[in-house]
Amino acid sequence: MAMFNSTGNNFGAGQISFKDYQAENYVVLNSKFTFDPTNADYQACDQLEIYVPDLSIDRSAVGAVFIRFVEDQHWSWGDSIYDGGSILKSWVKDKNTIVIEKQPWFDQNGPLIIYILTLYPQLNQGANTIKGTQQRLTMTTPDNYLRFGYETFMVEFEHWVFIHLFFSGCTYAYRDSLWEVTMEELPADITADVPICGGGNQFHPECDGMAEAHIENKVLSNQRRVMGFWDTGHDPFVYAFLVRDNNE
Amino acid sequence: MQALPSIAFGGFSGSAKGVTARQVAGRTILSVKSWPTGQTTNAQVARRTSMSKISKSWKLLSNDQMREWDRLAEHTSGQSAFGQKAEISGMNLYIRLNVNRAMAGEALLSSAPAGTVAVPNVEYSQIAVTPELVAITGIKHQASPYKLVVKMSAGQSAGISNGWSKTVIITPGIEDDWGEADETTLYLKTIGVEPVPGQKVFVESYWMDTSTGFSGQPVQDSVIVTGEAPHGRRVRVTMDTLDPTEDNNVTAIDVDFSTGAPVAQFNAVCLGHSNVASSEVHLDKELPAEVIGTGICLGRANDPNGKIVAQSYLVWVRNYYGKADMTFAHRGGYYVAKTECFGAGVMY
Repeated sequence: MAMFNSTGNNFGAGQISFKDYQAENYVVLNSKFTFDPTNADYQACDQLEIYVPDLSIDRSAVGAVFIRFVEDQHWSWGDSIYDGGSILKSWVKDKNTIVIEKQPWFDQNGPLIIYILTLYPQLNQGANTIKGTQQRLTMTTPDNYLRFGYETFMVEFEHWVFIHLFFSGCTYAYRDSLWEVTMEELPADITADVPICGGGNQFHPECDGMAEAHIENKVLSNQRRVMGFWDTGHDPFVYAFLVRDNNE
Repeated sequence: MQALPSIAFGGFSGSAKGVTARQVAGRTILSVKSWPTGQTTNAQVARRTSMSKISKSWKLLSNDQMREWDRLAEHTSGQSAFGQKAEISGMNLYIRLNVNRAMAGEALLSSAPAGTVAVPNVEYSQIAVTPELVAITGIKHQASPYKLVVKMSAGQSAGISNGWSKTVIITPGIEDDWGEADETTLYLKTIGVEPVPGQKVFVESYWMDTSTGFSGQPVQDSVIVTGEAPHGRRVRVTMDTLDPTEDNNVTAIDVDFSTGAPVAQFNAVCLGHSNVASSEVHLDKELPAEVIGTGICLGRANDPNGKIVAQSYLVWVRNYYGKADMTFAHRGGYYVAKTECFGAGVMY
């Protein structure tokens, strides 16, 4: 498994670990880290910069990373979850710097979690996009308690996989359970935490909900979900470029 | 300009009948007043106006600031003549660097830079000049604050070997676009006529450090105008490639298929249409067959109510009857009509 650690950052996040696949003209990076938006370094910076050992590319086009906050509300009848988040622009500025745009949207909801599940490409590379093959994912749960929409698929490459999961329904008895779903065609060499975007968020309608799932050995598991996860029209989804553990 | 031995003309200075003599580092330089030939371009007028304003602003500097410029000038060379390093005054350096900065759209620099700056030379693989395309390609990128300045001549006879004095500034300071500087529009605007196949165009280019105004050594080149571009163009969908007679549901778009990787690069501000959770754009030409298919990308709501919802979009790319269209079709997340799609997405 290929990994590296950051050499620093300008927003007080401590050391950040990356799983990576680096090609000549693009890189795929996976990372999850937390930072505190009240710290002085974050407040002083114009954009979030992560300093890293030499990457294979010296700049990239703009990609997207996920930002998430965790929020519980305590009521007389019980606790409710109002986790939320959105996406931020991110790019490779030079061989040693990954940039994430700074937005104030969730500064009051810290600590904040960033998920980098991103492919950073370069442009004008003298060749066109190389098309992959869409492979639908069979999502298996006992009695099919968790169901997924038509656009639940992966595109598999030797060193990384792209997945798009589209949640469509759940048997009522399982709505608050730990979900464990086997993705039959997914390679077993993928381990990652991925955000599930979507679901209604009564306290944060501007951004909707964002949960977190863990993928390991072809199984996606999730326990903590926003209260309005199944609200009509707020279709939860996963979008991730995932580095396989077969890289050296 | 003519340099003469100081023994013969030492101490001689002043102007008479269009000839000016001045003393520079012990040499007497005689200059004959030169008059511009050809029609003055708008860019030249702007540059002269800017130079005039900058010259006048020298007097507004404090004594300390002037001394800083003089100090910097002592370590800076002017244009050398006959192998002798020419000197430059603080005021002339102030004007030179600020004219460069003004050309690149930067504000006036009152305080002198801390020191001289070594600016890299321009490196590129090819200059393509055709009636439809004027571009420098394969440029070795230099990050900000460097900007590329390109000067070009109008088409000259192919027999001329030295025509760089006929070059005028085409781009006063641009960043290369992924190794490419497309000068087509600005060339036509500045020179006024399309290049004619068979003619020779002289080109001079250099990097400018816009933070200080220092520029690098000009790289001189020339190219014979050809009928067709020697390389394939980048496959890209931008606002310029859309069919204006069709209803296009975006305010901005830049989808780039030139990644040479298993993704396309998506950028679009979608508006939605007809209460359908999708946006369409129509191109005035077909796209190459290898980029026809389905892509997927992320979107972030960007509406006036402050929504920033993350969404996923399928992107259908099709050719039909000599044209092409793209549809950004909403899939995951809460649909917001005005959404900015960005980032890399696989295609299949």
